[in-house]
Amino acid sequence: MTVLDLPLWAALPVCILLLLGAGNALAGAIGLLRLKSFYARLHAPSLMTSGATILICLASMITFAVLQNRWIFHELAIIAFMMITTPVTLMMLGQAALYRDRAEGSKEVPHKEAGLREEAAVEE
Amino acid sequence: MAEPPAWTCHPRGTTIDIAALLLPVLVFAPLAGSIAAICLPSRQGTEAAWLSGLVAFLCLGISVYLYLHVSHRGVIAWQVAWIPQYGLNLKLRMDGFSWMFSGLISAIGLLVVVYARYYMSSSDPVPRFFSLFLAFMSAMLGLVLSGNLILMAIFWEMTSIVSFLLIGYWYQNGQARDGARMALTVTATGGLCLLVGLMLIGHIVGSYDLDAVLSSGDAIRNHPLYLLALILILAGALTKSAQFPFHFWLPHAMAAPTPVSAYLHSATLVKAGIFLLTRFWPVMAGTDAWFWLVGLAGLTTLLLGAYFAIFQHDLKGLLAYSTISHLGLITVLLSLGSPVAAVAAIFHTLNHATFKASLFMAAGIIDHETGTRDMRRLSGLFRYMPHTATLAMVASASMAGVPLLNGFLSKEMFFAEAIETHKVNLLDTVTPYVATLASLFSVTYSIRFIHSVFFGPPPRDLPKVPHEPVRWMRVPVEFLVLACLIVGIVPSLTIGPLLHTAVEAVLKDDTPSYSLAMWHGWNLPLFMSIAALIGGVILYALMKSYLANSVEGPPYIRRLEGQRIFERVLVALSWRWARLVEAKAGTRRLQPQLRILAAASLFAAAIPLLHRGFQPADIVLRGIDPAFAFVWLIGMACAVGAAWQAKFHRLAALVLLGGAGLITCITFVWLSAPDLAVTQLLVEIVTTVLILLGLRWLPKRIEGATKPEEMTFGVRLRRLRDLLVAVACGLGLSLISYTVMTRQMPGTISSYFLERAYFEGGGTNVVNVTLVDFRGFDTFGEIAVLCIVALTVFALLLRFRPASDSLEKPMQQQVQNDFDDRHPDRSKGDSISDYLFVPTVIMRWMFPAIGMLSAYLFFRGHDLPGGGFAAGIAMSIGFILQYMAGGTRWVEERLRIHPLRWMSIGLLVSTATGLGSWALGYPFLTSTSRYLHLPLVGDVPLASAILFDLGVFSLVLGATVLILIALAHQSVRAPRAHIRAPRPSGTEAS
Repeated sequence: MTVLDLPLWAALPVCILLLLGAGNALAGAIGLLRLKSFYARLHAPSLMTSGATILICLASMITFAVLQNRWIFHELAIIAFMMITTPVTLMMLGQAALYRDRAEGSKEVPHKEAGLREEAAVEE
Repeated sequence: MAEPPAWTCHPRGTTIDIAALLLPVLVFAPLAGSIAAICLPSRQGTEAAWLSGLVAFLCLGISVYLYLHVSHRGVIAWQVAWIPQYGLNLKLRMDGFSWMFSGLISAIGLLVVVYARYYMSSSDPVPRFFSLFLAFMSAMLGLVLSGNLILMAIFWEMTSIVSFLLIGYWYQNGQARDGARMALTVTATGGLCLLVGLMLIGHIVGSYDLDAVLSSGDAIRNHPLYLLALILILAGALTKSAQFPFHFWLPHAMAAPTPVSAYLHSATLVKAGIFLLTRFWPVMAGTDAWFWLVGLAGLTTLLLGAYFAIFQHDLKGLLAYSTISHLGLITVLLSLGSPVAAVAAIFHTLNHATFKASLFMAAGIIDHETGTRDMRRLSGLFRYMPHTATLAMVASASMAGVPLLNGFLSKEMFFAEAIETHKVNLLDTVTPYVATLASLFSVTYSIRFIHSVFFGPPPRDLPKVPHEPVRWMRVPVEFLVLACLIVGIVPSLTIGPLLHTAVEAVLKDDTPSYSLAMWHGWNLPLFMSIAALIGGVILYALMKSYLANSVEGPPYIRRLEGQRIFERVLVALSWRWARLVEAKAGTRRLQPQLRILAAASLFAAAIPLLHRGFQPADIVLRGIDPAFAFVWLIGMACAVGAAWQAKFHRLAALVLLGGAGLITCITFVWLSAPDLAVTQLLVEIVTTVLILLGLRWLPKRIEGATKPEEMTFGVRLRRLRDLLVAVACGLGLSLISYTVMTRQMPGTISSYFLERAYFEGGGTNVVNVTLVDFRGFDTFGEIAVLCIVALTVFALLLRFRPASDSLEKPMQQQVQNDFDDRHPDRSKGDSISDYLFVPTVIMRWMFPAIGMLSAYLFFRGHDLPGGGFAAGIAMSIGFILQYMAGGTRWVEERLRIHPLRWMSIGLLVSTATGLGSWALGYPFLTSTSRYLHLPLVGDVPLASAILFDLGVFSLVLGATVLILIALAHQSVRAPRAHIRAPRPSGTEAS
């Protein structure tokens, strides 16, 4: 690999962004490992990894914009789709876990019928 | 005249060899006519008959014209190179002998067309009949004219197949189907033997060219492979000519329409075997093996056929057995190995064709005008149809060998040859006696044919009132009978020169002096004839009353029917033995199948490697990046975990498999193969989702056998063995790959591709340029395979009946539906749509985004990672998301999903792109490229290969979506009620 010829003014923010992003990702991974319940654990990878992706993409934008001397927007698309789709994954995983817990009759989660009753009460 | 002049093969210079050019016309005009006839509507029988008549007339005209050339020049030949590397050329060659056959085929073909025009009922699909008829004529002409052994085998097979279709013309009739199938099985098996035999001959001679073969008789006869080649060729010829013991198919082929029988069983199909024997007579005959094999078959057939013919009650059955017997006679003549006998064989081939064709036609007239062919019911028809009766009498007199008719002449020659001593052995000694006896039988059945049908009291309760047929139905018979008479009375003036041309073509320098005169003085053959005639009359007088009431078939050996044996063998082979093998060696469980597959591939790879001294490369651990190694460690853990969980937790195994796939993808990125990484990622996504969809339909575990307390020694042993096989396979594969990849690369083509990709392929993405341009043909084949795979999956899933325990809806759905049912304000499916409310919106909105991504991947493909394959897979992910979000019904109400159409369009576009370069004079799939300047967008690379890539895209998309919907439709289909088994309690959904 060749050594990138990045000027210092650009290298500093890139380094900071990269380190922050990597730290985010690491935090997410530790969270996935350490957090107690499934619902709590869900948030670690989705939130922190989204953040990490955004930071690293920003770093990438700056790097290649400076190196190639032009504006680069590819990463914006990555960030946008990441922001849109990660919550969907989170939601589906959460729903599945909730569903399973309910089906097994777990005490930890609110019962579905109760939720419906509350809804009905609000409507009335 | 013996050796063909060289210039006939390659007409060059100023003279255009019209005669040679007429040969392909002779063969392909009937084929073209056949295609034209099948295009006619099924009601236009008359038009089809006219067409066929004209084609047959054209062929006859060409044959007559070519006689001038053949008698003058000896051999005319026409050839085009077909696959010259393999010595396979499209060579047509006509000498006197094949001229005789082509004249016979086209003349009798013309007569049969005239006859069939009036015979066939207008309620039958007559154009199909004439189309098949012409196709058969083409095949026969091709067979007799082919000047290349392989070409000959091809036309031989064609006669088998078309005769199958002709015999089974009335396919609604069970007898016709059985007869056709039997004829095809017997003759096609013989055809296969013949092909091998001809290839052996080609190997012995060193050329497939017929001229070369015919001029190397000594080489063939003295070769160690001679016996094998002889047996194989005889297997072909004897099955086709219905010689004992393969004679049984011919009587069953009588279920065909009578014109077919008149054509196939007089002049053409069964004579193909005789043709072959005569063709190879100069190079193969004369040995002891030939004498015994051919002679024994011929003599048995001659006697048995004549004997069986006496006891037939069906007119056509009698004629069929008589045909068998007469073919046996010709075979015996050919077996003798003497030139005069060969002359007699050729002569009898002609004579038999004339009288037997007319007799079949007469039988057809009787059947047509009375409604039955049973000789026990027919009687005294002379008073109703005197014309037909007279014609039939003359023809059957010829069949019996009565003097003044052509049958007599060749029979006299046969007798004269039979009493000669050719080889001193038992077979040669009995030949004259058998010949006389068979001739006696033939007199008996000929008299029976005439006497029981035309004489006696008037018939009672016939289906129709008998009367004379229409004028033109009789004309062909009249013509043939006239030929019998003229040839019989003045042979040397009429048939003499023609016969001599044919004989000279076969025998060349060995052509004997022979006399065709009717009267040879009082000699032994004449006495044999007289004895046979008188004996035959006496035998008929004795057997008349027995025959009038007997059961069909000869006494005592009636039950010993070839057909029964044949069917027994077929049933044993294709049913009992097949079932036995399946029961003993087959299994319906996947694990043993996989075990066998893995073990077999292990051995298949290990044996050649060990045999040739495989040296695995030294494993050098050097310069390993710790991060990369860690990634690989994770991948390996995933793979092992997947294997470990595969049996007990399929979902977990699938997830782990996905993990291993992602590691592969990262590896590709790491090793700078972005193309592969993109493709791998997309393929990984699609396969995981498709397998997920399929998981629900997998059968549940077989309970009991693997409970922990039942882990017997046997179970442990089996698992250990499976583990060993798996580990050995995996290790072996890694070793081989490692050894191959670490070898010093010699100068390969990869550097060539790297250098040429941009300049010649017009793209900077070497992988894509290689795929769509340099190795475009490979890709073409691969996408065709993909197409086939997708269709196979689709077809299998279409007929898929899930195991009874996975028929019910999954537990989750049941619980949800129960919940919805319990609440009056909710309808079925509300729960799932609640769960998926937000994801659904996002998934639907992702469709255009994924479409854009796909387009992006597609257009950048030629220069940057991407391409048609990746784009197609990406697009199919869009469809998968829609199915997941909205469900099958929702999607298909809104989107037009026609994967089959997409696939076919893709394949067509790719093919058309390839063919386009053909049209411009370049080889298949040559591509051109240039940059197109568009305003705003800039230079757009435009290679014709992008069209090809478009085809790839469309096909990949279609194939993936086809598999997807095949899976998705499983849950929409309502399983049949009666296979819904009660749900076993306590089973857990996977």
